[in-house]
Amino acid sequence: MNCRSEVLEVTVEARQVEEAMLALLHTILLHRSTGKFHYKKEGTYSIGTVGTLDFDCDFIDFTFVRVSSEELDRVIRKAVSEFKDALGNSGSDGMGQISLEFYQKKKSRWPFSDECIPWEVWSIKVNVVNLANEQERQICREKVGEKLGEKVINVVEVINRHEYLPKMPTQSEVDNVFDTSLKDVQPYLYKITFQITDSLGTSVSTTMRRLIKDTLAL
Amino acid sequence: MAHFDTEYQRLEASYSDSPPGEENLLMHVPEGAKSQWHHIENLDLFFQRVYNLHQKNGFTCMLLGEIFELVQLLFVVGFTVFLANCVDYDILFANKFVNHTDSSKVTLPDAFLPVDVCSARIRDNSFVIFVLIISGVFWLHRLVKFIYNVCCYWEIRSFYINALKMTMSELPYATWQEVQARIVEIQKEHQICIHKKELTELDIYHRILRFKNYMVAMVNKSLLPVRFRPPVLGECVFYTRGLKYNFELIFFWGPGSLFENEWSLKQEYKRGGNRLELADRLASRILWIGIANLLLCPVILVWQILYAFFSYTEVIKREPGSLGARCWSLYGRCYLRHFNELDHELMSRLSKGYKAASKYMNCFLSPLLTVVAKNVAFFAGSLLAVLIALTIYDEDVLAVEHVLSSITLLGVCITVCRSFIPDKHMVFCPEQLLRVILAHIHYMPDHWQGNAHRYETRDQFSQLFQYKAVFILEELISPVVTPIILIFCLRRKSLEIIDFFRNFTVEVVGVGDTCSFAQMDIRQHGHPAWMSEGKTEASIYQQAEDGKTELSLMHFAITNPQWHPPQETTHFISQLKERVHREATGASDTHPLSLSESEPRSLIANLLGGPSTLNSVHFGRDSSLTNHAAAGLSDGASALRSLSPISSSLHLKGSLSAAHRAGHTSAMSKAMASSGTDARTVSSGSSAWEGQLTSLVLSEYASTEMSIHALYMHELHKQQSRGEHSRHTWHRQESDESSDSVPDEVRSEPNPHSRNFPRSHTFPTTVPSPSAIPTSASATSSTMLGQGGASSQSSTQQRYSGPATDSFGAGGKVVRSARVPMGGWAEDGQAAPRRHEPLPEESSEDEMPPHVHKVNAVCVCVMGYVDVACLHCK
Repeated sequence: MNCRSEVLEVTVEARQVEEAMLALLHTILLHRSTGKFHYKKEGTYSIGTVGTLDFDCDFIDFTFVRVSSEELDRVIRKAVSEFKDALGNSGSDGMGQISLEFYQKKKSRWPFSDECIPWEVWSIKVNVVNLANEQERQICREKVGEKLGEKVINVVEVINRHEYLPKMPTQSEVDNVFDTSLKDVQPYLYKITFQITDSLGTSVSTTMRRLIKDTLAL
Repeated sequence: MAHFDTEYQRLEASYSDSPPGEENLLMHVPEGAKSQWHHIENLDLFFQRVYNLHQKNGFTCMLLGEIFELVQLLFVVGFTVFLANCVDYDILFANKFVNHTDSSKVTLPDAFLPVDVCSARIRDNSFVIFVLIISGVFWLHRLVKFIYNVCCYWEIRSFYINALKMTMSELPYATWQEVQARIVEIQKEHQICIHKKELTELDIYHRILRFKNYMVAMVNKSLLPVRFRPPVLGECVFYTRGLKYNFELIFFWGPGSLFENEWSLKQEYKRGGNRLELADRLASRILWIGIANLLLCPVILVWQILYAFFSYTEVIKREPGSLGARCWSLYGRCYLRHFNELDHELMSRLSKGYKAASKYMNCFLSPLLTVVAKNVAFFAGSLLAVLIALTIYDEDVLAVEHVLSSITLLGVCITVCRSFIPDKHMVFCPEQLLRVILAHIHYMPDHWQGNAHRYETRDQFSQLFQYKAVFILEELISPVVTPIILIFCLRRKSLEIIDFFRNFTVEVVGVGDTCSFAQMDIRQHGHPAWMSEGKTEASIYQQAEDGKTELSLMHFAITNPQWHPPQETTHFISQLKERVHREATGASDTHPLSLSESEPRSLIANLLGGPSTLNSVHFGRDSSLTNHAAAGLSDGASALRSLSPISSSLHLKGSLSAAHRAGHTSAMSKAMASSGTDARTVSSGSSAWEGQLTSLVLSEYASTEMSIHALYMHELHKQQSRGEHSRHTWHRQESDESSDSVPDEVRSEPNPHSRNFPRSHTFPTTVPSPSAIPTSASATSSTMLGQGGASSQSSTQQRYSGPATDSFGAGGKVVRSARVPMGGWAEDGQAAPRRHEPLPEESSEDEMPPHVHKVNAVCVCVMGYVDVACLHCK
């Protein structure tokens, strides 16, 4: 609970799913990434630069800015295409949700594993529609572009608010806050998960975990 | 371009050691995670643990306690099995002779069976094996729990030490309010909750009590099936720990429960669309859980016994009152609990009411039983006397078989019988006792007032305050009854439950989904008959019963003076407080008899205003403090708040000792010192805890203030609802003969015993002269309420007899003079009840009816406090 959650909803055509998701995820990550930290002695550091590039969508009238990091792009594309496939295979009414969760790690003592504590969760709800003819597709193409533009503004507004962010870490703790595996950019630790159809409720494993935790609680 | 380049490089060259780049220009200093306490994942659990550790007096105490409990469990099981299987009782009872050659004495080891025989007996007995297995699992469960807890609480311990800067040794002497204030303080620095910059007290309470608030609300709205009408027993309440556990399992955390995690209700339950489908699902889940309960019944039974054994010791440790024959039932705790009231707050206030409550219950000894008991005691007594006399004559009588055991049995029998025989010199006044109880428990169905002497009231009260034996019996039959209740009663309510959770869940930023009642918003859940007339917009469905919203709000505001409620709420609180104050002053202003006026006013003034006035009352009683006291009174409550801890402790210590000396002298000053008495009992119980005294005494004042407000609100409510149809939570199904039927304040009760003494002598007709009252009153007070006082107290009584009569005379006079218009008003009020609703803020004080009305309320308050005092002084 101790995390912010933002929900974005989009309605798109099946072939636009990938690009729409990429647009939103990349936008968020653009604002949640920094340049690489270079630690110096005396406990200071300097921040490297972050390159950006414009990305034009094929199926939507839309261009967005993303971090020019091929590695990051690869990771996100992989997640999004998995999501798209799952959405296509589900055969249900085409509802899905992809969430981007920013977390920080907290080292804990021996019997417990490291905790991953989310501090911000972006949930993007996707509603896939089928369109009958080309004309509708054209209209949809423009409308989705506009909508995505609004969402991007929305994201920027949220990020501009002066709210909790993990404190800048010292060198030893940098892995607890930032994802340092990429060589040209350093986003906050994030996790992308997705869920098809409305809500499956809590999974069995989480219930079991809760059950055990609750019986153990004083 | 090339030109620029070269120039640039030349400039660069002046910085000798660093490579070109922007790194030099922007240097950052990492803040680092200086503390590990920012952004805690599960704040609910975290705060609960912080609270638990505080309640358990620190880490070491908790650790030791738990270890000893584990050992105890092993010992109890082992010893029981040993006694049952490994002792040859024939040898012990000398039915069988031991063939010792050397001596004829039987030694204890002779009675033990050899190890192999013993283990064979255990192995053959499948029941013992079963019990052993269950207790083994139980013990392992506790062991794992213990280890887990040690790890978790170690972290909380370091939170206390590093973040809150409190050592474990000072923890037992810190009140929860202090701990809480520090948590609120460090939020600014560490940001343990990321949603807000600042935490409020209410946020912390909400998180700790999230589910408890729901349960309280459900009991308040009579949603849970806990009242039954079995054919023979009449109406009864069945609410056990097993049932409670199952309710919580179903609603809050079990597999497929309504809550997704600790802090959020599942999305689908928030939407009204498919409520029927959800209700079906809930019903089938309840069915399955019920069946599982049924199947596991024997296991649960054994578990229950073990658990009861251990939690029972726990209860005794926590609750001193529980050593008596009665205890507050689980249902009572739910019914009496305020929204947002922590365990220790509830416990302390129930414990305070314990004495009065058990006295009240003792008023109702059945005369039939008394007759029987008297005679049984007579016969048993004569037998016992003969046996004892014979024993004294020749102690060989004891050696005769069964003489010792029959003496013991007869003794027990007489003791039991005596508990059914009322003390001849004891006179009870149930109406007053009930008011004293009300001052502590704060809730009571409307129709109890004025009907305190009736058996029905007593029966209903016994549902809140039951025999401990009944409590244990209920716990033991609970494994069998619980599945039945789940399957046949709760399942039917599934739709209502779904609706309840949908309608009464609000999402609060930074807290998550909480019960909307717990917001204590007068506008949403106020009850028009409880002073929120005009402010509330709630429908009947949304109103909390019994003035729970209003009383909870007052309670929370009083216990957490730092809390800043929302605008309207602040208004409500200040209005109410102001009214209580104004009436305190108003009471004396209407009767400008300079002699008598100082007493009742200073009574309330010092109950509200705390130490400074308390002092002035004791030392400057006879001086003309009329103006001075009035000035002090107006900022009475604010004085209570603004007291800095140090100065207040000085003040309070002084005033406490003053109360000590003067406290027993008179009924009135007893009333004043009532809070002091409490503090004294606490502090005398633990004289080492001096440091705690400050906050303890402060919280004492808070509880007294709350008692006054509770009494006042009940009084207003009664006046307001008189004449109009009232709703009762207690018997909502049956609109019974309620208090409306009898104008109880002026009614002379049929039973002369239940006439309380202030009332009897406050009627002008019964009073020959003011000077005659005090002696008779103090005489009656000591005889009527019995237990005249400890011997040490009686000596002070002697010494201070002069002022005692004085003050009582004055007090009695005021009460009397206030009573006269009240009686007149009572008739008036019956004729036109709606005219005397709680006045809007701007109503002028010059109008007659409000005045009188106020006086009335104050009188009742005062009387309530006289009662409290009487009870305390015993």
